[in-house]
Amino acid sequence: MSNERLITALADELSPVYRAPAPARLTMWWLAVTVPILALVTLMMGPRPDVLSLLLRPDFALDEALAVLTGVAAAYAAFCAGRPDQPGWKLLLPVGAMALWLGVLGRQCMSLSVSTQGGALRLHVDVMCVPAIAVAGIAPAVAMVVLLRHSPMFRTAHACLCAALAAAALAECALRLFHRADSFATMLVWQMGSVALFTLAGSLVGRAIIGRAQPNGLASHVES
Amino acid sequence: MAEEDANWRIWLAAAQAGDRRAYGALLAAALPWLRARARGRWPTATLSDIEDIVQETLLALHRSLALYQPCRPVAPFLFGIMKLRGAEVRRQRHRHAARETILDDVPATSEALRMNPDQDAAVDQAAMQAAIGRLSLRDQEILDMLKLRELSLLEAAAVSGLTVTALKVGTFRAIRRLRHAMGVEDVE
Repeated sequence: MSNERLITALADELSPVYRAPAPARLTMWWLAVTVPILALVTLMMGPRPDVLSLLLRPDFALDEALAVLTGVAAAYAAFCAGRPDQPGWKLLLPVGAMALWLGVLGRQCMSLSVSTQGGALRLHVDVMCVPAIAVAGIAPAVAMVVLLRHSPMFRTAHACLCAALAAAALAECALRLFHRADSFATMLVWQMGSVALFTLAGSLVGRAIIGRAQPNGLASHVES
Repeated sequence: MAEEDANWRIWLAAAQAGDRRAYGALLAAALPWLRARARGRWPTATLSDIEDIVQETLLALHRSLALYQPCRPVAPFLFGIMKLRGAEVRRQRHRHAARETILDDVPATSEALRMNPDQDAAVDQAAMQAAIGRLSLRDQEILDMLKLRELSLLEAAAVSGLTVTALKVGTFRAIRRLRHAMGVEDVE
């Protein structure tokens, strides 16, 4: 089919569409769903007894703030990735936030290891991190998939990776409020490792779900 | 992106509300623009590749109408779709090219072009069946009994009620008409 005839065919079968919300608005919706759920999960799992004093500590508060920043940046990037007119730098926002988060964690780990004479570097097995991240991250991830499936999209792989990272980062933020790591290195390896694992697994699952939902009904127009 | 017409935003917003005329006007105005942008972005692409990329862009635009925000310009939206879909088309072309063989230098009679050993026989049989279908019912019946089901003359005579002589003459004539139907000239 020639493109001139295709234009006529497309115009003939046009029907009204619901305009998709802007990425910033979708991010707000996602946070509005995710934050209460994570608060509920934290309450159900039982917050750490020292949670209030922890939040008043600048280093802990900074870690939590950077986890939230990474989560919000990744969510925004996930929604931007699906839009063809969004610039590439927005898609890289979570990379910067994640690098900052990891950099701050690394710096804290180093300074703690010096002050505790290597105590912070002792690594303990903390298998509970993996299911805890999964439990806390599943609801944000489902909410993200629902919002991403709302409309057709581009750059699905990037969107799914960012979406899974967003869910994992906020889950990690909640996890530290109800789960205590024995040492900083344990937190860094097991908790952040769980974040990475959840991000990869969530990305693959999300891609399979969203990829299947992509509309394909106009393929007949390509036939000549 | 300075080439964007001021009407494009209005047309695309109207298209989201279901205005077919505005949508047609937008697509007609955007088509030459898309071709020019595609040629600029992929200068080594062939003409047919450019048309394919433009076609994919138009189809993707149709599927993604809901993603447009009327406060934003249309040209980056269209160009963004074209960049993403065009890159996908080019990737597919490269992937397929790696598995393809150019047949221009292969003789038409090459054995390599045969799809399977029974292909010629199947084609001949199909041509003959079609030719038999164009004969009269009497000829079809005679050929079916004596040539396809391979009954003897006596068996065919018993089934059809014709004499053996009539069957012989009928077979001779039916075969002549079949040869004629298949375009085979009689050699005198």
